[in-house]
Amino acid sequence: MNKPSMQQAILVYALLGIALIVFLTPIYLIASSSVKPSPIMFQRPPAMLFEPTFEHYRDLFTMRPFGKFIMNSLMVALGSTAFSVFFGSIAAYAISRIKHKRMNDIAFWILSMRMFPPIAVVVPYYIIFKTAGLLDTPLALIIVYSTANIPLTVWLMKGFFDEVPRALEEAAAVDGHGLISIFWRVTLPLAAPGLAVSAVFCFIFSWNEFLFALMLTGSEAQTATVAVMSFWSSDAVQWGRIMAGSFVILIPGVVFVLTCQRWLVRGLTMGSVK
Amino acid sequence: MSAITLRSVVKRYGSVEVVHGIDLDVEEGEFVVLLGPSGCGKTTTLRMVAGLEDVSDGELSIAGRRVNEVAPKDRGVAMVFQNYALYPHMSVRQNMEFALRPLGLDAAEVDRRIQEAAGILGLGELLARKPAQLSGGQRQRVAMGRAMVRTPDVFLFDEPLSNLDAKLRTQVRLEIGKLHNRLGTTVLYVTHDQVEAMTLADKIVVMQNGHIEQVGTPEQVYAHPNNMFVASFIGSPSMNMIPARHEGGRLRAEGLDLAVPSRFEGKLPEGQDVVIGIRPTGLQRAEPGAADAVVARVEVTEFLGNEALLDIRVGDHELIAEIPAAGRPAPGDEVSLTFDPSVIHLFDPQTGATLSR
Repeated sequence: MNKPSMQQAILVYALLGIALIVFLTPIYLIASSSVKPSPIMFQRPPAMLFEPTFEHYRDLFTMRPFGKFIMNSLMVALGSTAFSVFFGSIAAYAISRIKHKRMNDIAFWILSMRMFPPIAVVVPYYIIFKTAGLLDTPLALIIVYSTANIPLTVWLMKGFFDEVPRALEEAAAVDGHGLISIFWRVTLPLAAPGLAVSAVFCFIFSWNEFLFALMLTGSEAQTATVAVMSFWSSDAVQWGRIMAGSFVILIPGVVFVLTCQRWLVRGLTMGSVK
Repeated sequence: MSAITLRSVVKRYGSVEVVHGIDLDVEEGEFVVLLGPSGCGKTTTLRMVAGLEDVSDGELSIAGRRVNEVAPKDRGVAMVFQNYALYPHMSVRQNMEFALRPLGLDAAEVDRRIQEAAGILGLGELLARKPAQLSGGQRQRVAMGRAMVRTPDVFLFDEPLSNLDAKLRTQVRLEIGKLHNRLGTTVLYVTHDQVEAMTLADKIVVMQNGHIEQVGTPEQVYAHPNNMFVASFIGSPSMNMIPARHEGGRLRAEGLDLAVPSRFEGKLPEGQDVVIGIRPTGLQRAEPGAADAVVARVEVTEFLGNEALLDIRVGDHELIAEIPAAGRPAPGDEVSLTFDPSVIHLFDPQTGATLSR
């Protein structure tokens, strides 16, 4: 393709600008509202210049144990991500490598788990976890989120494993390596971008999830998303605290994605086989 | 004791049999080339030796030990792959280290072996590079280095030169030959290129359709092919084949009437159909009117330097003759050619088998 002309460049940047505004406006509103004094919260037109206050943040962490809820969220999200990526990768590797005429059916069956409307399984989950004594524990949420995350990971990782040349594994086998060593030292490192993508998807899903967290946790294992909702009571909606909570919730997700970003590169297998 | 032994080895994929009960002995230190067109089962055979394909039937032994059920990692072989299969996330040094890791050597020995291989193959400057930063020829050498450092009982090569350009191919071919002379390790080498086979092999195994057609030294398969397939597959340009009939001590075909070479006298029944095989170099220019000469029209001449190839037409048959380039005829000229009786091959047209013995 030729070098883009000036008009094309302007068009591209204009579209990018619009997209940026669309995506960043809510974040701006959250951030600005979280430091806006309550009396001017709903002033019209919105107050652009004001003395920022951190009272909402102070309230967030003093009126309620919001730090603990964040930790719960982190534990659940990281736990489910680790669990899903580990088992999802192993399953995906098997599906990618084992030749069997029913393998596609198995793969589809795994994916079909993901098609369940979540609301349909809330009550069964509730009964199962109540019987097992796991209600209001992070483990319950880790299990629930993993059942949704593993199918996703399996499908993502299968695609990445399919692209790792078989010849590399054969070379490693002839070089004296066993299955686990080959998987760990050859195949998995070459599928690292897939691991990063899977981890990001799993983390964000678990981190943002609301429905199961609301139904399956009480005061102990409550996650941050549910905690924010509790500022919405029948007599008042404490917007300042909700915004402050929302802004705090944004941060770990952004940090996690940025951390994974360095692995989101293509072309890792270049130069291996001609 | 043979380094590698195959006894009635069969390979099936489902109900399709691709290697049909082959027998082969590779002696210690021998350079054996599996040669044949694509789809002949040579690579499958090599992969069975490596352990990358299961043996469906028969027995495969390496160094006297049955290895049918032995995992590739425990067979004491090293393999150079057609596409090199270098680990892209590892440097050249790490690629070699990775091959050594299962041997559990101490760091000094690992380093000594890598340095030695790097020295022999000229990889010293490249040890820190990743495969993506290497040229095709360099990657090929790294693949050989990775196989070498393990000091295996057997080297397996799967068409190692097919991804290189012509000039590099000749050069690396020489290097592989030198390497074998130097290390003396048993080599099993797969190629479809008969020049590679002829130049490198102590013993050539010619394969077709999952069968071994002939096993012999390069001289044997060239000079004494077992059948028409071997005769036409070995040698470039390939051997001329002319259907003919034995009548009264003469071999007759359209436009052709030759005395039966003395070797075959008394062996051919009268009226037997044969196929005459003669290499392009076995056709020699003769004076017009010389005994048993065929007169043919030259269709094309190809100048090769010292020699020239003549495409000529004798009766219905197109033949190729290789003659000295000096004084070569022009297209459209008539030439007289004689068949050198000492290099005439005769084959059975039904079975393709040689009648020469």
